Formats: sequence, structure tokens, C-alpha cells
Amino acid sequence: MYGNSKKSKSETDGPPVKRASTDRRHFINVGVIVAVGTVALYFLLIGALPMPAPASSQSDTIDTLFRQHMLLIAFLFALVVGFMLYALVVFRKRKGDEGEGEHFEGNTPLEIAWTVIPLIVVIIFSYLGVVTLRDVTAGQPNELQVNVNSFQWGWSFTYPETGVVSQELVLPVDRGAVMEMTSQDVVHSFWVPEFRVKQDIVPGQMQYLRFTPVLEGEYDLGCAEFCGLTHYNMLAPVRVVTDAEFSAWMNVKVAEQGLQVAAGN
Amino acid sequence: MSLSLTSLGIVRGLIGQALGTLLGFALVTLTRALMGREEVWSTEPAWVIGAILGAIGFMIGVGAMSDWFKWWRGIATPFVHGPQAKDQPAWTRYFNVDYNHKIIGIQYGVTGFIMLCIGGLFAVIFRTELVRSGIQFLEPNTYNTFIGMHGWCALFGIFIGIGGMANYLIPLMLGAEDMTFPRLNAFAFWINVPAIVLLLISVYYNWDSGWTVYPPLSLRGSAGYQLVFWSVILLGMSSILGSVNLIATILRMRPPGMSLFRMPIFCWAILATSLIQVTATQLIFMSFLLLSISREATLAMPFYTPLINAAGVNIGGDPVMFQHTFWFYSHPAVYVWVLPGLGIISELLPVFTRKPLFGYRWVALSSIAIAMVGYLVWGHHMFTSGYSSNLRVWFMVSTLLVSVPTGVKFFSWLGTMWGGKLTFPTPMLWVLGAMSVFLIGGLSGPILGTVATDLHLHDSYFVLGHFHATIFGGFVFPFFAAIYFWFPKITGRMYNEALGKLHFWIMLPAFWMMSIGQMSVGVAGMRRRIVDYDPLLGGMTDFGLGFVEIGHVVITISAFLIAFSILLMIYNLFHSAEVGQAAGRNPWRSRSPEWQTPSPIPEQSFASPILIVGEPYDYGLAGSRYVAPTTAGDD
Repeated sequence: MYGNSKKSKSETDGPPVKRASTDRRHFINVGVIVAVGTVALYFLLIGALPMPAPASSQSDTIDTLFRQHMLLIAFLFALVVGFMLYALVVFRKRKGDEGEGEHFEGNTPLEIAWTVIPLIVVIIFSYLGVVTLRDVTAGQPNELQVNVNSFQWGWSFTYPETGVVSQELVLPVDRGAVMEMTSQDVVHSFWVPEFRVKQDIVPGQMQYLRFTPVLEGEYDLGCAEFCGLTHYNMLAPVRVVTDAEFSAWMNVKVAEQGLQVAAGN
Repeated sequence: MSLSLTSLGIVRGLIGQALGTLLGFALVTLTRALMGREEVWSTEPAWVIGAILGAIGFMIGVGAMSDWFKWWRGIATPFVHGPQAKDQPAWTRYFNVDYNHKIIGIQYGVTGFIMLCIGGLFAVIFRTELVRSGIQFLEPNTYNTFIGMHGWCALFGIFIGIGGMANYLIPLMLGAEDMTFPRLNAFAFWINVPAIVLLLISVYYNWDSGWTVYPPLSLRGSAGYQLVFWSVILLGMSSILGSVNLIATILRMRPPGMSLFRMPIFCWAILATSLIQVTATQLIFMSFLLLSISREATLAMPFYTPLINAAGVNIGGDPVMFQHTFWFYSHPAVYVWVLPGLGIISELLPVFTRKPLFGYRWVALSSIAIAMVGYLVWGHHMFTSGYSSNLRVWFMVSTLLVSVPTGVKFFSWLGTMWGGKLTFPTPMLWVLGAMSVFLIGGLSGPILGTVATDLHLHDSYFVLGHFHATIFGGFVFPFFAAIYFWFPKITGRMYNEALGKLHFWIMLPAFWMMSIGQMSVGVAGMRRRIVDYDPLLGGMTDFGLGFVEIGHVVITISAFLIAFSILLMIYNLFHSAEVGQAAGRNPWRSRSPEWQTPSPIPEQSFASPILIVGEPYDYGLAGSRYVAPTTAGDD
């Protein structure tokens, strides 16, 4: 209808003629905005939402999925806001123009497209979600079991192999660990942000959480389910150490607590 | 002429509530005394019976049941619009039982706004505490109560504010004189007031647990929990009764020519919202009722209390069952909170773009689709609670699916803007702001809905970023858009445009900053519901403060800016209602039926019944009409 006419005042007295909204150039312009916006936003998001140190093998898997989500978020945000900002500028009412907007009620192929394409994306991310879940919950060979007791407002760790009871969670690096957790009173939750995985501890049930620490260091375990007055302070230190350090620590604790250790431990 | 306090229904209602509560206390105490109990006074059973009888006392005192009492005695009460009490100043109608939906809509709207402000006040207080690590002035016990109060007060604000928009607008949009059941409408509004009273009293008892009141924690400690349970049960009654009324009105009171697909789109939004409310609210009633009688001081029922037998098997109750029944309601509830606001966005965009709503039918049905799919996703609030891992997969898939009808709305809004003639008065700014904020909220959903990433993000501040953005984008911003948009129709005067814009331009960037701040500290490891945090959380930065602590400074500054901007709004509305410029009948040149009435709208909204002769949003179609012209002359 308006074809390729540029925005200009016509010779006669009439409102300025401009590009129809369906003109391809609009979509090319927006396309560029969306592409640039996606990239910019992705890096902004990753910068603004930094993950803690990736201290478990689960961290890697989860951080990758997190970044995939961030890319999708960056794209969708740029897409919607890109079109929106473009429209706010290009389709704003000009001074003196008391006309109405272009009259179109909809576009069924477009509606179908923007229903089916998101559906496909949902299916893809569902698949990614399932495989990561399987990945991060998978059992490992030769897992170290730790019995975790949670209560208002503290933690206690028992190592069943030796019977050692500790107020700090000490773990050997690169060995799968499984927390077997109980609560004495209300719902608590085990979370070390560097390990990325979390599990609520509901009284009356045994709860399990698996992770493999891969980075030596000191971390904080904090209760992640509101549990009363000093929930904020329900913390315990976590130390990931080498195998040798772990054995040494265990021996010291065994001696301290006067325990008999089974042979071949 | 002096006005006696007891001529105001609300005062009589509060007296009735006090008397009913005392009666409840007395009955319980008397029973215990007669049964020979050593301790004659027991706080919790007294409050449970007191709360129920207090609510009944309020409803009788305010006069919400008076017509029904007359019917029981065989006295007819013809339905009449107009002040129920003669010889009183006009403003007293808002403090009495009134059957005009416009009065009730204002009652709901103002009450909702007040509750939002009270909820916000709790937040401003604890955000001040959180701005630095360490405990500065807020004791943990008080902090823990304030976060729960913030939650429920704000949610009351949302439910009641939605009641305001729906009850004011729906009959007007349908050209109807009133709702199908006007007396039920008044009842459904007034039941919120005893509910609010109970909620506010609960602060005295210092309950913790946050708004989600999970057992076993909520089965212990403070008696304040009982007040929370019963206050929410009363709020739920309002939801159910109000929704029944709205569904009946929308389905049965449309004018000739207004088929379902020719209704203003806001009617579809409210229809979907009401369908959720009338079917889901029962679940929170049930789960809170079970909590109330599971506490030791009442009946000590074992629904949520495990009992491990000798073989190590739990043969008792399960705390996770509460989570299932709670979230089975509370997830659909979040769609109650946002569907009306999304309907406001769809309603206002055509007016300020001068184009049809793109894909009206798809938008209408997307509200119904969101309502339906919203019933299938509740388990995503419980991914870490320990239920079957395979089931977690199904909840993940259903959760991701909700993004499809939501996307249909967003793309339709873009289609509505594309090729339009856009203007940007205050209501349009709030609509556009709502879209950007709801986008942040919506896009932060799937990452929480994916189990593996949720294992990190659950119960962290990231969740706060997600839900505050969805709530502000889906309710608060559209609510403000609606207030500014219909203010001229309600009061006959224009609000101050410069102040309205200033309110927006302070609140929007502040809210973006708050969202990013919350999501950022959450990813870095900041847990929810904690009064204090490690100053080194997130690592030390070059600014002498930890990363998370800087985040908290940003969030707190944002909260103060938001609060300040709302003060500007309150001033604007009061001042403009007094001295604003006369608005005229239709300052926005809208096609919707309510704009065919005078401003302010008279007691009887429509001088004669309306006839619908076209599509609601045919802006730009020369010669088209929606409402048939009346002889009185129109736009």
C-alpha cells in the first residue's frame, strides 16, 4: 500500500506518509536490535548473576544448564523489549496526527507459529532438564556416607564407617558423598551453595542427597528452610580436603572419641 | 449535624466483632471451667472460637446480613440503589453496607491499597535491618514475624484490590446496573474486614514461619498462628463468594449483541480468575483448618505429625502432605493474582495504540488456558521436599508449559502496538512498565521450574526476585494503571499528569534494580527469611563490602524509592480528587461501555440499556461502533 515511500510531508495537506507496519525494513531493524540485545544481555546477566565457586561435579552440570537458560532469557527479553522499544519510537503518534492506528485484528499463522515454536522450546528444555536431573542425582561408586542430623538450630555429622561424630562436615575431594539426613523437629534443608544441590529434611523421613566435591576449600552449610528463631544462624563449616588429610582427620577424631575402628578401614 | 460513630457500619461491625470474640472466649472458658480443667483459660481454643464468632458478630454489626434476616422473617426488601442510611454525608456510604457495585468496588479498592501499604511498611522496616550484615535493631523474633506479615498483608492487598477492579468494572463493561447478587457482593467485601483485624492482631503474638506456615513449625510456638489461619479462611470465603457473583454476572448479564467473544477482554480475565478462585480456594481452607486443629492446644490431630513405629516406618502424618494441599491452592492462586492485571494490559493497549487488540480470541482463551494448566504445576514449589524424582520431571514439564499461553499474551501485546499511533499518558506508562516487569518475572520462571537449577535456587533470594517481579508486573503496575485510567471516570477529575509520570519514572527503575539485586544475591547463595547474613557472602569486592551486602544496599534503596513514589501517588489522588481539572465523559476516547456514562458515574450508571453493535476494539475501522449510540449524544 505505502510501498517504499519514505517518511516525508506530501505536496498536498495531508498527514505524513510513512512505512506500513508490515514493511520488511522494520523487521530487519528489529532483528538487528534483537540480535545485538541478546548478546549484550547474555553477558550482562552472566556478569550480574555470578555463581559461587563450582565446588562439586554437580556444579558444572548445573552451571551449564544455568547458562543455557540465561541465553534463552537474554534472547526472549531482547525479542520482546526490542519489538516494544522499536514500536514505542517508530509507531508513536506524531504531533497533529489525530488518526487511528492500522486496523488489523490478528494473524492466525503468526498465532500458530508463536504457540508451536515456544512449545518446541519447552520440549527441548524439558529434555535438557531431565538429563541434568539424572546426571546430578546419579549414584557414584564407593560413596562416602555421612549421616546428617539437623535440629533447631544446628547440625551434627556422623560418619557410620567409624562412628565419629563431628560438628563440621569434612569430606575427601573427588569422592562421591551421600548425605543421609534426618530432622529432630521441623523441616530443615541442606544447602552448600558451592555444591549447588539442596535437599529438604522432613521429620519422619530419611532424606538423601548426593554430590561429589571437586574443589578443596572451606564452605558454609546453611539451613535453607525456615525453621524458627535462629534459622539464620543454623550454619556448619564444611571442609573439602585431600584423601590423606581426610584419613588423618578421621584418625584424630577416632582417637579423641575413644572409638574402636574396624580393620581394613 | 454531628455524626455519631455508631451510625457507621464499620464501627458497629468492629463492636460486633469485639463482642463476638469475647463471647467466644467466654464459651470456651466456661466449658473448660465446667469440665473441671485446671487451667480455665486456654488462648488457642479461645481465639479459634472467638475468631469465628467475632467474624459473625462483625457481619451482623455492620449490617451485611440484615436483608437476609428480614427475609427469614417474611419481610420483603426491594432492591434499591442509593444510600442505605438517610441524612448522612455521602462519604459515609463507604463505611456502611451498600449494595451499589460502584461503592463496593471503591471499598475493595481502597482497602486493598491500604493493605498493600501496610505490607509494604513491614518490608521497609526489615529492609532497613537487612541493608547491612549484623543485627542492627530488629530482633530475630520480630523480624521473623514481620516477613510473614509482609507476605500475608501484601497478599490480602492483592486479593482485595482485584475485588476492587472486578466489582467496579465488570457491571459497567457489561452495561449492567449491578452484579447478579448485590447483597452477596456487599457480604463478600465486608468479610475481609474481620479477616484483616485478626491478621493485624496476630503480630502481637509473634508468629514466624513466613506466609507459607509449613508444619511442623506452624504446629508449635505462638498462638498467633491460629489468628493467621482463621484470617486467611475468612479471606478465602470472600474469594469464593465474590467469584460466584462474577461468574454469574459475566455469563448471565451481558447486553444484547455482546457474545462472549465481544466482551471487553478484562471480562475474560476476570472469568478465568473467578473460575480458579471458586474451585481452588477450598484447598487452603482445608489445609489451614487441619493445621488449626492439629496444634496441641486445640485438638492435636496427627495429620501432619509423623509417628515412627518400631520397624522405622512412618505410620502417622506427613508434613509434606501439607505442602501438597497448600500449594495445590497457592499455585493457582498466583494466577489469580496476575490474570486480572494481564487483562488490564490487554484492555488498555488498544486505547493508547488506537488499534484492535491483536488476536482477541487467542488472548481470551490464553487466560483460560493459564487457569487450567496452572492446576497441574504445584509440585514445583516442592522440588526439594523429597517426593518421587520421576514426579518432579512431570511437574517440571507442566511448569514449562505455562509459558506457552503466557507467550501468546506477550506476542499479542506486541501485535497490538505494532503499526499503532501510540501516546504515553500515565496509564500507558504503567502498562508498558508492567509488561517489562512481568517479562522479568516470567523469564525467571523456567529456570526455577527446571529441577536441577532449582536445586540451587530454591529458597534463595532468586525466588524473591522471580515472584516480586511477576506480582508487580502482573498486579501492582496494572493496578496503578487501572487507578490512573479510571480515576477520571470515578471522580470526574483528571489526576495530575506530571506527578503520575514522576511516580512511574521513580518506581520503574527502582523495581528493576530490586529485581536484579534479589536475583543476584540469591544466585550468590543468599537464603530466604534470614535476619542476618555473612558479610563475606558472595566474596569480598573492591568496594570494601561483600558482593551480597552490596546487593542488599541496592535492594533496600530500591524499596525506599518505591515507597516514596507511592506516597506521591497517594498525594496525587487525594489532591486531584479535590481540585483536579474536569475530565469530561471520555478523555481517553475509549470504545468501552463505561466511558459512555457521565463522569463521575451517577447512581444509576446507564440511563437506558445498552446495545452492542460491533467489536470492542475496532479502533481505526472507519464508521464502526461498539456500543450503539444513544440519543443523549456521545463521542
